[in-house]
Parts: sequence; structure tokens; C-alpha cells
Amino acid sequence: MTLELPVDLLFGLNLDLNLDLTKVMTANAIVLPVVLPLLAAFLMQPLAQVSRTLARLLGPLVLALGAWIILNAWLDVGPAPFSVAIGGFAAPLGIVFYADQLALLFALAVQVFTLLFWPGLGAAAKADAAADRQRAPRRDALALLLASAATGLALSGDLFNIFIFYELAAVASFGLVCADGSGRARIATLRYLFVSAFGSVLALVGIAILYLQTGTLNLAQLAQVAPETLQGPIGLAAFALLLIGFGVKAELFPLNAWVPEVYATAPARVSALLAGLVSKLAILVIVRLLILVFQQPEASQLLLVLGVLGVLTGEFSAWRAQDFPRLLAFSSIGQLGLVAIAFSIDGTTGILAGTAVALHHLIIKSALFGLANRWSGGLDALTGAAKGAPRAAGLFVLFALSLVGVPPLWGFWIKLLIMVGLVQGGSPLDLLALGAILLATAVEAHYLFRVALRLYQPPVQDQASRLAPPARWDTGVAYLLGACLVVISVAITPATEALRVLAQQTGDVLLYIDTVFPQPLAYKE
Amino acid sequence: MPMRNIASLVLTAGMAFLLLVIGADLALGYPDMRVGAEYLRIAGPELGAANIVTAILAGYRGFDTLGELSILFAAATAASLVLGHRRADARRDPPGGLVLSAGADLLFPLLLVVGIFIVVHGHLTPGGGFQGGVILAAAFFVALLANPARTLNHALLGWIEGLAGAAFILIGLWALVEDGHFLTPLLPLGTMGELVSAGTLPLLSVAIGLKVGAELAGLLAHLADTEAPDR
Repeated sequence: MTLELPVDLLFGLNLDLNLDLTKVMTANAIVLPVVLPLLAAFLMQPLAQVSRTLARLLGPLVLALGAWIILNAWLDVGPAPFSVAIGGFAAPLGIVFYADQLALLFALAVQVFTLLFWPGLGAAAKADAAADRQRAPRRDALALLLASAATGLALSGDLFNIFIFYELAAVASFGLVCADGSGRARIATLRYLFVSAFGSVLALVGIAILYLQTGTLNLAQLAQVAPETLQGPIGLAAFALLLIGFGVKAELFPLNAWVPEVYATAPARVSALLAGLVSKLAILVIVRLLILVFQQPEASQLLLVLGVLGVLTGEFSAWRAQDFPRLLAFSSIGQLGLVAIAFSIDGTTGILAGTAVALHHLIIKSALFGLANRWSGGLDALTGAAKGAPRAAGLFVLFALSLVGVPPLWGFWIKLLIMVGLVQGGSPLDLLALGAILLATAVEAHYLFRVALRLYQPPVQDQASRLAPPARWDTGVAYLLGACLVVISVAITPATEALRVLAQQTGDVLLYIDTVFPQPLAYKE
Repeated sequence: MPMRNIASLVLTAGMAFLLLVIGADLALGYPDMRVGAEYLRIAGPELGAANIVTAILAGYRGFDTLGELSILFAAATAASLVLGHRRADARRDPPGGLVLSAGADLLFPLLLVVGIFIVVHGHLTPGGGFQGGVILAAAFFVALLANPARTLNHALLGWIEGLAGAAFILIGLWALVEDGHFLTPLLPLGTMGELVSAGTLPLLSVAIGLKVGAELAGLLAHLADTEAPDR
């Protein structure tokens, strides 16, 4: 397959033929943020034997490079979506990456957030520094694998390829959760592993059914043939299986029993990555399937019902939670239920609201888990923590206000958007969801403000000294994310407009198909 | 009843219903050959591999194979994090005796040759990097089972594993520079059916075989090296 003509280079990149070559290379380089972390992860352990410092720096460097490549592709080739045929094999025979604004946004978020919550940063301050040095290369390798898998989930346009990256994210997160080696973390991981393996099997069955019905795994081709082949109960059954499978990482209602134990026992930064990032990418996969392949209303309704159950169970369990990481974990279940509800709303409004609430939760929950790095005890122990760590407490209040949806903040506008969308939908199910959101908001406000009040109570004797303030890096990251939140809240109109453009692009099925297949397939029957 | 039990119940009932629906409606045995037929038609001439399965795994869907390699790597890495280290004074299982060790010694070269053969002929005959790699790992593990006091050189295995994985990706990056696409098959195709043919596919196969072999050998050795329970 040696190619002579430069025109042949354009084969996989389906843009206008008169685009210059550098743009093509910039676009084709979009595989690098997925591939380079893999390369770095493979070489991590040998490298650590040569130079420990180099091995420690390798991960952050690769992630920074990945962020730069994605940004470059976005600015140079975007804002129109483009697709890249990996190996030069045109879809549907080969695997394609589809990069629209949504995919690029989340791919970028993966690099940035993995960098901000890099598990290796500042971890050596522990007493068992020697054991930590032993584990560090392996842990860093797993973190890189997680970043690569999450980026792949955002970009891939092939269902089986998505499944591979989903599995990679799962296996890498098993290792990261029990990397610090407490017995409770291992038990939590074991349950997570069972649920996750169960979900993966079901997702695989769903994919097999899709392949049996349609004979293809390419999302664009699936979108083409779905109206004839996937209507009716078989298509719905396949969607239900895929929803259950990908719902494990997306913390959807019946599959989230692993969440509280894992987030309570895993290292806080890993919890931040799983709750903030990985859950969003799993939702993203479900949304792509919903938009492209399963357009029947029953599919959205299924997502809506699971979302409502998630919101109610999550928020009420959070209300009863006795320690800070568990409270965050249950609240994360509730918020992801809200994401599911938002995405089940018809049309651009739904995608806009869903993306907004997903980004909002990504920013806030990651930052909160970062703060929980040192606040991992019971809620009682937080009494008076504001005295020792006034900035961290202030940030907590800011995030709590936005989570609940207090007016000037971004969280308010998002909840408003969802409620308006539900009212416009107007079916009894929609109104039920509306009621559930209002109820859950009240519960959410109660437990979050209870914690905030506790932080500002006068400290009990001898407790203030026991509770160290969050590490400087984590507070800094929380500051940064808090600043993001404030900026978006102030510039709410342009931010929503930008998201609306993104949502319109995401919802355009024909655009997806035309981008992946610029000419009609030659051999199509 | 705790939330977890209710959730399990709902899930089980839903699954049973799903299975019924699928069982009733699915046209099992009559797959739609939209993509499959096209592979059968063009894979031979385009990639020059006599084994179409390898042409798909390492060629058309080579990126998936890279992902699968990474999953295995992640599993091995996570396991070695969890398994930890052996105490110096921990009890070991006794050696397996003359028959077992002689048998293991006899099997070793045999397994090695079969493993290498299957890896190298991945583009010609059934099998390939994954299958051959597992046989290679077994060659080393049989010796370890016969005599538990033996140890494998984990540092060396780490190097083989890392470099083999890197080789797969570097071949892909070479294609990105040369041809504009990650993992495009390069090099002349040669005559189909000969050992040196099908471009870079055999090289990928060897990289996969070495990586899988080293990884599994390391993982099995780690498992065997965990402390036996004191009786």
C-alpha cells in the first residue's frame, strides 16, 4: 500500500480535496493522543529502571503533548467535523475516528483533567515512600492507559473499537483503585470488577446483535441502515443491553452498587478521574448510540426512567451518607441521573442540556474529590475545618451552591434548561422527571448546606489539629476549576451559544454520515 | 431491604424479559454479510496475507488489536500491583520430582519451537501473535511448575514486553510519517503464501507474540510466586 500521489493521502481524511497537506497531517495526528500514552505506558517500567525521574515526568509530558495536538487539530481543521481512517482503510472496513466539537472537547478534557489529577503528583510525601517508589511506574502506566482509553472513547467511530477502549478503561481503573493497597479498596475493586465484567458481557451481546442485524460495526453505516434493520423489539433489546453495559461506568441506576465503596476507598484523585471523567465518556458513548442508531422514542424513555431512578436513589442515599467521599459518590450517582434525563430530551435542547450538565459535573465533582483527598473521614470530623482551611471551605461552598442550582451560578441555568426542556416535552413521564428533579434539588440543598454549616462551626477541641488542610496542589486545582465555573457563570450567554452550536453539530446524523462517507459506498447493494 | 437488593431484583427481571424477546425474534444463523463479504473479496489482494483472519486483526482492525494488547498489559500491570512481594522466609512448594522435571525439560524446546512457528506464520496459517505468545509463555511456565524454586527474570521480561509493545506502535508511527495514516501496512506484499510476504503484518505478529508471551510469563510467574498458605 505504498502511495505515490499526495491526493491519495486525502483518502482517509474526508474534507475538500483542495485542503493543503499540513492540515491533513494535523487531522491525521489526532490518533496520537490515543497512541502516545500507550507507547509511554509500555515503556514506563523499563524506563524506570534507567531513570526514575524521567519515568515520573513521562506521563505528564505525554498528556501535555496530547492536549496540544488536540487543540491544534481543533483550531486548524475545525470547527467542521472531520474523520480519520486509521490504517488508511476507508470506513466501514477500517476503523475511523470521528472528531466533531463534542469529541474534541471531551478528548481535550481527558488530557487536561488527567494532568490536573495525575496520581503521581505529591504522592511521595507519605511515610512509606520506598513502597510508593516501587509502585509509581506501574500506577503511572495505568493512569496513562486510562487517559488513552478515555480519549479513544471520545473519538472512535466504530462500535467494537469503542468496546475495546471501554474495556481498557475498566481494567486500568481496577488497578488504579487498589493501587495504594488497602484491604477495603481491594474488596471494593472486586465488586466493581464483577459488576463491570457482567456489564461488559451484556454490552458485547448487544454489539453482537447489532452486527447480526446490520452486518456492520461502523457507527456511520449503522446510522444509515438503522431505520430499516433496527426498528422494533430487537433493536430495543440491543439498546437495552448496550445501555446496561455502558451504564456500569456511567453510574446508571441499577448498576451503580459498586460506586460508593470504590470512591470511598480509592485514592481521591482516582475517584475524581472516575467520577468526573470516565463516567462522562461512558454517557457520551450512550448518547452517540442514541442519536445515530436508536432513534425510536422508547430508547429515550428508557434512559429517562433510569435517569429519574438514579436521581432519586442517589440524592436520598447521599442525604443519609456518613462520610465525605461516600456523600460525594452518591451525589455523583444523582448528578449522572440528571445527565441521563437531560440527554433523553428530544432534539438540540436535550444535547445542549446534557453536555452542559456533564461538563458542569465534570468540573465540580473532580474538584470536590480533590478537596476530599485530606477530608476523607466521617462528616463529624469536618466540624470547624474552615478554620484550618478557609480557602478550601470557601471553594466547597461555591461548588455546593452551583450543584444545587443557586441563581447566578452555571448550575442554575443548566437546571432551568432541563426543566424547560421537560415541560416542552410535556408527556406524563417528562413531568414525573420534573417533579423528581425538584424533589432531589431540595434534598441536595439540605445535605450540602448541612456539610457547609459544619465546616464553619467552631472547631471541637483537639480536632482542628487532627484534620490537615487539603494539599496545596489539590487546592490550587480546585481554585482553577472554581475560576472556570465563575467565568462560565458570568459569560453564560456566549458559553451557552457555543454549546448550542456544538449540540447542533452533534445531533446532525446526516453530517456524521457525510463526513465518514464523502462518496456513496461503491459496493452498497 | 437495602437498595442493592432491590436493584439486583429489578435487573434480573429485566434481563429475563430481554432474553425472551431476543430469543423469539433473532434470525440466528443468517448473518447480514455487509462488511464480511467485502473483507473476503478484497483482503487477499490488498494485504497479501493467506490467513484472512490475521489480515483483519492486524490490518483492517489493527487498531483494535493494539487496544487488546493494552488491555492485557493493563491486567498484568494491575495484577502485579496487587500481588506484591514475597517475604524472604516464605515457604515454597517442594520440587515436582524426577518425572515432572524431566517431562518439563523435554517439553520446553518443543513448546518454544511450536510457539515461535505459530507467531512467525501468523499471516499464513491459523494462529498468530496472541496464540503463539500464549504457547511461548506456557513453555516457561511449565518449567516453573515442575520446580517452584526456579524464578524468572522479571526485569528482562519487562524489557522484552516494553520493547515489543513499543515496536508495534513504532511500526504504526512509521506508517503515519511515511504514508499519512497510523498503522497502514507498509513494505512490498511479496508472493502470497511465502514466509516473507504481506508487508508489515508478520512484523506486527512477532511484536504481538513477544509482548503477549513476556506478559503472560511474567503474570504466571507472579501468581506462582505468591506465598503458599501455611498449613
